Amino acid sequence: MKKSEILAKVQGIFIDVLDNEEIKLTDETTADDVDEWDSLSHIQLVVTIEKQLRIKFTSKEILFWKNVGEMIDCIAIKLENA
Amino acid sequence: MIINSIQFLLFFLCVFLIYYFPLKEKVKEQNILLLLSCYIFYGIADWRMVPLLLLATGVFYVLGILIGKSNEAASSRASLLTTLGVCLGVGLLLYFKYLNFFITSFSDLFSSIGLSTNWSTFNIIMPLGISFFTFKLISYVIEIHRQHIEPTTNMVTFATYVAFFPTIMSGPIDRPNSFIPQLQSKRTFNYDLAVDGCRQILWGMFKKMVIADNIATCVDLVWDNILITPGINIFISVLLYSVQLYADFSGYSDMAIGVGKILGFRITSNFKYPFFKKNIAEFWRGWHISLTSWLTDYVFMPLNIKFRNSGIWGTISAIIITFVLVGLWHGANWTFAIFGLYSGLLYIPLMLSGSFFKKSKLEINKYGLPTLKDASKMFATFILMSFGLIIFRAENIGQAWDFVCQMFSSSLFSIPDNRGLRRLVYAAVLLIIEWYQRDKEHALQIEDVKFLSNSIIRWGLYLLLCFITFMYAGTSTEFIYFRF
Repeated sequence: MKKSEILAKVQGIFIDVLDNEEIKLTDETTADDVDEWDSLSHIQLVVTIEKQLRIKFTSKEILFWKNVGEMIDCIAIKLENA
Repeated sequence: MIINSIQFLLFFLCVFLIYYFPLKEKVKEQNILLLLSCYIFYGIADWRMVPLLLLATGVFYVLGILIGKSNEAASSRASLLTTLGVCLGVGLLLYFKYLNFFITSFSDLFSSIGLSTNWSTFNIIMPLGISFFTFKLISYVIEIHRQHIEPTTNMVTFATYVAFFPTIMSGPIDRPNSFIPQLQSKRTFNYDLAVDGCRQILWGMFKKMVIADNIATCVDLVWDNILITPGINIFISVLLYSVQLYADFSGYSDMAIGVGKILGFRITSNFKYPFFKKNIAEFWRGWHISLTSWLTDYVFMPLNIKFRNSGIWGTISAIIITFVLVGLWHGANWTFAIFGLYSGLLYIPLMLSGSFFKKSKLEINKYGLPTLKDASKMFATFILMSFGLIIFRAENIGQAWDFVCQMFSSSLFSIPDNRGLRRLVYAAVLLIIEWYQRDKEHALQIEDVKFLSNSIIRWGLYLLLCFITFMYAGTSTEFIYFRF
């Protein structure tokens, strides 16, 4: 899956989980840019991404992401190795 | 030297004049001056702990550089060094703040099951501000390890971040991510920011000296005479204590943030009008924000990630553990642990009903007031928190129990005395002003209020507030959060 496809898929998950149709993700998007994205919804997002893409993140990976771009990179590596 | 004293005013005036005149636009020299000021300020408060602060700063400075180098080499040493840093920070807190508590608690536990111990406690002096500066040190090494920041290679910058005098005693707990870059950049006198800082200091002084200190005399009287105080007066003191604690701590935070603004710094907010929140989760997003966000990032998030496959109960467990730590952070006493547990348990109905995940704005009616539905939610949240603060205020569990029993005695339905009712007026004044200014950073940001658009009227109001603050100041009491 290309990174642009992963971004589109992740954006769909964000819209569903955070219940906000207006979310537009870019590589630079951070939690500060999305009102509904807080510490709690972050975990819901992670769990949903893991379930839908059938991957598993480590705690360290999740804690180290600085923005959506780093999350997408991490997903791309997981999917490549799957 | 407390922040609302004449000594502090003179001290700050000296710093201000040197900072902006001979050292104007000289970042390096300004930082050296700030660092000297921080250590003079800390040394005046308790000179015996200056070596400890210096040592801890030096150790974490070196750790930061080593973690940064290990990150570059992608070596596992970074994790080890970060763990060492976290253990050192937590160890400092455990030794100075909690060691005697653990000794007496375990001794009591063993004696309750018939085992006698002759453990004695140590004569340990708790360094001022330890709960605040150790959290700064810990977040510094974690953020470097997570590669969210680069380690600073300037000892003066780092030491000033750790010991920054407006916040070292009672916070807010600034993060290195936002504060260190400010220390590294040029700071020139910003008139608008400085004036806003002065107004925030004035508002903080009003909250502390007029509201908190006046309410304190009434609340203290009730707590000193629990068994002879009618239940209705105890109930009023419960409501008053919430406002006292808020006015005291947010007053200090406002003063610290204001001092920071005059020096050209943006210090993190600590309160966002918590009494206008509709549930406990929202309340905690507006109360002591710098502590709760710290624990959210470094305790709740890692726990919640670990427990993420346990569903809602995993999250509830992470919340409860985090809140017990929030409670214990305040001091080595089971009362604080119970307060934290109580706060955490209040999340369970929110989580199970799903309302925790829904964020909705306050609904305001045509009179500028909350709708009845939202007002009742705000009031219920206030009552729940106020009841939790009984155990927070109590010296021990027995005293809290006596307090609750006396409150719910038949005298709950008697006529309250004037002293408590008068203090409720103080609380109401604060809440009304803050309600109408709730969209602002602090209540004295009044430039866009229609009838205050004239600057002469505004300055008249500031002078009036100064006059009220000094005329109606209550008996001076220490800031509650200095103890923590």
